Amino acid sequence: MEGWIVKLVLDHLTIVQDNFSLAANGEFLEGVHLISGAVGSGKSTLALTIAGLISAKSGCVSRCGIGSVMLSFQFPEYQITGMTLTEECISWGCDPETFFSSSELKEKKDQSPFSLSRGELKQFSLSCLLNKHYDLLLLDEPFGSLDCETKNKFCQRLSQQKKGITLIFTHEQAILPRVDRIWEIMDGVLLDRGTPPDAIRQWCGAPALIKKLIRQGKIPQNITCEDVMEAACRT
Amino acid sequence: MIEIRNLRYRSLHINYLDIPRGITTVIGRNGSGKTTLLRLCAGIAVPDTGTILIDGTPPRQTNIGWLNEFPDRNMLFSHVEDEIASTLRFRYLAPEETQQAVQRIANRLGIQNLLPRQVQSLSGGEKVLVALAAALVTEPEIIILDEYDSHLDQTRCFEIETVLNESGCDYILRCTQQMESAAESDYMVMLEDEDLMLAGTPPEVFPLLKKTLFYPLSWRAGL
Repeated sequence: MEGWIVKLVLDHLTIVQDNFSLAANGEFLEGVHLISGAVGSGKSTLALTIAGLISAKSGCVSRCGIGSVMLSFQFPEYQITGMTLTEECISWGCDPETFFSSSELKEKKDQSPFSLSRGELKQFSLSCLLNKHYDLLLLDEPFGSLDCETKNKFCQRLSQQKKGITLIFTHEQAILPRVDRIWEIMDGVLLDRGTPPDAIRQWCGAPALIKKLIRQGKIPQNITCEDVMEAACRT
Repeated sequence: MIEIRNLRYRSLHINYLDIPRGITTVIGRNGSGKTTLLRLCAGIAVPDTGTILIDGTPPRQTNIGWLNEFPDRNMLFSHVEDEIASTLRFRYLAPEETQQAVQRIANRLGIQNLLPRQVQSLSGGEKVLVALAAALVTEPEIIILDEYDSHLDQTRCFEIETVLNESGCDYILRCTQQMESAAESDYMVMLEDEDLMLAGTPPEVFPLLKKTLFYPLSWRAGL
């Protein structure tokens, strides 16, 4: 749809829970957004609020041109409905034949999802989820418990995500996708660091390796392993 | 030394493996058998055949601290303080001593402020810290951690590594997907398809993985 603007607006949002509060204000346009923050900083809370599962104390979340929304939780096993991998795959609207033809889990397709290891289950549920397009995709710690090779595979997949708004809430420090914008939650406030490479310089919670490169004056173009390697090899 | 001989458990098999004292990191792809190996070493599972001996003693006769991959699933009590104190209370330790031990471990981990909290209200990472405190409160000889770091940010990981290094445990056995942190360990074990693939120190093991993403990015970048 030409000229159709897809955006997510957090309008002076305040979320208050027990002794925790989070203020978020900002506009998310199409592309891949990284929301980084320490453990307990409120990444999951923000994801749940944007998904509409928690109500904000004040302010609002407005979605423009967003039809479909998907939220992937940190622990996928709480959302399993199928008795076998095939059933689970069908429940996501995937065609099992196509799905398993390219999956490393094809030999286990008749097994219970709970027979998988934690990493395999995460890998499986992410594959099911990414099989469809969503206008707004919220991924809460999508890389937790994935092995390095699998993490990289998903990062490459997410780096190609051109349509829709993808928000990745993570504290992953090594293997990351190419992102269009970096946000950071610090001291209860969501901060917009802007677009890479400039955003990387402003990014307080940047991975140790990237910080080391910044100190050497080598700012990576983006945050993928390839970008880090490219910057490291500069003379 | 942890001696593993002719181990068979479901489809995992390891014929011969010696794990020295210190920090050992188990690495491998998802489903390669890392958690299974750790559960066997912790005595949570018992081998179908073969043996595991920790300084000559079977795991079930050793004082072991275990940190689950899903820390909240092992939690029994609704308050953090009760959770950390639980093992000591089950052992009928005097209330004052229990109290002191809980305070001591909370101070070491920097989680005093979490003590009055409800377990349910903790973030994923805070739950890991509480579970670690509960595992260390009995001063175990060996602590086994199943990918605890997947819920932690780098600052917390660094803090926890410091706590672990100073824990006084003879053996720290863990698995991780963070290769930068694996590179800091004393010994490494790599599993593939539920089989032992490599074992040795990081400088021995990592060069053999140069073509894979298991090779630490900092080594690749020469930083």
